[in-house]
Amino acid sequence: MEIIRSNAGVLLDGLTTTILLTVLGYLGALVVGIVVAIFRVSPIAPLRAVGTVYVEFFRNVPLLSLLILVAFGLPDAGLLLPLFWCGVVSLIASGSAFVCESVRSGINTVSLGQSEAARALGMGFGQQLRLVILPQALASMVQPLVNVLIGTLIGSSLCSAIGISEITNVTQQLNIKYAEAVLLFLVSGVAYLVMALGSGALGGVLERRVARSSHQRRQVQA
Amino acid sequence: MSTQPSQRILFDEPGPRGRRTIALATVAVALLIIALVIVVLAQLDAHDQLEPQKWFFFTQPGFATYMAYGIVGTFRATLVAAVFAFPFGLLLALGRLTRQPLVHAVCVGWVEFFRSIPMLLVVYAFLLALPSYGLNLDIYWKLVIPMILVNSATTAEVFRAGILAVEKGQSEAAQSLGMSARMTMALVVLPQALRLVLPNLLTQLVSLLKDSTLGYVVSYPELMERGRILTSYTHYLLQTYTIVAVIYVLLNFGLTRLAGYLQSRGNRKSAGHRGSRTELAATTMA
Amino acid sequence: MSSPLTRRGLLGLGGALGAAALLSACSSSNDTLPVATPSSTTGKTVFTQEQYDALVTSGPVAPAEMVSQNAWAQAIKAHGALRRAGTDTSPIFSLRNPSTNRLKGFDAGIADLLAHYILGGSDVAKLTEFSKTTVDTRETMIQNKTVDVTIATYSITPARAEKVAFAGPYFVSGTAVQVKRSNNDIKSYADLNVDGKKVTTETNSTAIAAIQKFIPKAEVTLFTENDACVAAVRQGRVDAYILDQSILLSNAVNYDDLKVVGEPFTTDPYGIGLTKDDPGAKTFVNDFLTKIFTDGTWKKLYDGTVGPYVAGEAPTPPALGGVPGA
Repeated sequence: MEIIRSNAGVLLDGLTTTILLTVLGYLGALVVGIVVAIFRVSPIAPLRAVGTVYVEFFRNVPLLSLLILVAFGLPDAGLLLPLFWCGVVSLIASGSAFVCESVRSGINTVSLGQSEAARALGMGFGQQLRLVILPQALASMVQPLVNVLIGTLIGSSLCSAIGISEITNVTQQLNIKYAEAVLLFLVSGVAYLVMALGSGALGGVLERRVARSSHQRRQVQA
Repeated sequence: MSTQPSQRILFDEPGPRGRRTIALATVAVALLIIALVIVVLAQLDAHDQLEPQKWFFFTQPGFATYMAYGIVGTFRATLVAAVFAFPFGLLLALGRLTRQPLVHAVCVGWVEFFRSIPMLLVVYAFLLALPSYGLNLDIYWKLVIPMILVNSATTAEVFRAGILAVEKGQSEAAQSLGMSARMTMALVVLPQALRLVLPNLLTQLVSLLKDSTLGYVVSYPELMERGRILTSYTHYLLQTYTIVAVIYVLLNFGLTRLAGYLQSRGNRKSAGHRGSRTELAATTMA
Repeated sequence: MSSPLTRRGLLGLGGALGAAALLSACSSSNDTLPVATPSSTTGKTVFTQEQYDALVTSGPVAPAEMVSQNAWAQAIKAHGALRRAGTDTSPIFSLRNPSTNRLKGFDAGIADLLAHYILGGSDVAKLTEFSKTTVDTRETMIQNKTVDVTIATYSITPARAEKVAFAGPYFVSGTAVQVKRSNNDIKSYADLNVDGKKVTTETNSTAIAAIQKFIPKAEVTLFTENDACVAAVRQGRVDAYILDQSILLSNAVNYDDLKVVGEPFTTDPYGIGLTKDDPGAKTFVNDFLTKIFTDGTWKKLYDGTVGPYVAGEAPTPPALGGVPGA
């Protein structure tokens, strides 16, 4: 326990870095993922092609391979990002591919009749999206999007391999220094567990909320 | 023009004016993409990264063989991990569905734990922590055992979803024929569930293949690690890591395509059985 | 930038030769890629395999009763080979030649000489059984008796000496500074002790303590691999790479856009890591070191491995013990 107390600062820094990587990576992934999803459903063929290539590349490339490419490969082409941002960029790229697919398959769960009916009522694209499609699509998107969040959290540990001092990296370094393996690994294991289960629970709450509100809306509309 | 379901949801078939706008936008976007590609190539060229020998060194037989052995190493880790993780995951799923409280609790705990912690942490435990407690495995197993542990949990969830997706009527019918709960599971539910989860198991294989890149951390000579060693010989970091990434994408793309194919075949077979459809899991980030 | 193929002396080997070497590397299930044999920069020449083998077989052999009376040495004799942990990618200290699958270098030589001292014989290839080790696994492999010795540019420190016993030192190196060849601002470690300067080193290396003591103002980035540290310097992510001089010299051989500046600013005594359970091991190995120090074998090994890369004559061998931890 002494080790934990005397290294509380380092461990907390590591934890903060993990959280920052996860939050920035995830928010970025949401934005980019939605943009790519729009690309993929747009009527403009080259945009669709870009979207497809983007998704197929980034969801199939292992995150570690991507991190190393960004951290050690790109500098040779003059793109030298600070290591932390190498981590964030890679997490965004990888996460956004999964966000895109979650959003797309969420939209696909809405039955065609719904949007045709909306258009028949004279709703514009925005109205249609906001009032009819998204409320219904959102319910089935929450769980996959929470999974991407947890994936980003777990994925952020790989930033350790490119020298970012997040919690896994700190644990490993303290372990070398003190050889107090069980305690250290337990502490960071529990930290991940709490964060992942917390995100999962949050997702559950959100899902029920979304389901309820879209249910209510449907009732109002009916 | 092709109309995917998601497009038809969002847009009507365009009229003549719409078509003209789309045609214009298509040209504009295409030009933009070409411009972007030129910028990228110019940037690469400005840093002398386009020289042919920097990209084609790996076509020399020696290098090619060296990387090919890397792919063999990747498969050796991935497939062996799958052989252990999949049955293990099935057992965990069954354990989680049983009413025996102790077994249930252990399985839930196991699955939630290994689903929530990063594999790298488990790898470090095997690499750095456990040897001082007398458990010092071969490098290969320091990679493969963490792969098995972490993926047993995610696979368990795949199997559980599959079992739950088999229609209730199936097991009710079996039980009304006098089958025991165990027989029902073994003879009626499981065979259907296994067929349902087959595409998702392939996705799981993709996840295992990605996890095998952690060979880089334990120095097991799979593709990633061999790529690293190659760079200290060629000094071509950008090119080597790009090529490695592309190889991974091609391997995984093949697997996901196969999964998608099985999925669509499965869906066609069970068309009408809405309840028995399982969505293709898409949560294999790392 | 001129054509990299002509610039990089290393890749001069490339092409057909490299390919052939690689092919055999793969077929012999060897998992490391060669860094080509470095060329000399000082007039002394690097041992050929034949010269190296000749040196080992001409090394001293312990009297039979000395081995039989020492439980540690006797166990090695019974096993028939010395199990050694080390690295196979260090150009000066221990590098594998993929076409022969043999290890050569200063550390490899010490290991082979020790094995020959215990076992005798003339087949140098069979004297040692090699296990790869990293900074993270060196202590553990000795503690759980995976290996008999660790000979791996392994600095003696009091902290490590709590886990393992050290014979030696058999070589004295020191922490030095590596920068890009084009960098003329940094002439010694003192130039790095400025706010805003960035340095890198390996995790779990003795350089971390040296940085904290001598360059406290610099910002440190840690990587687990020499390759990653090298990339960080070459790509300008950091200003300098701080590590043991001998490893930095190897890097400068391997990458001609890197150089080592200034003299080492610490002394790093390399020891032979041994089990703590049997004090006889340390006594036996120290006896061996005394022999090769006094009969000239040590100097010959130095001249054929480290010598070609370091200016000046071979130093006198270090005094045994005399450093904390040894």
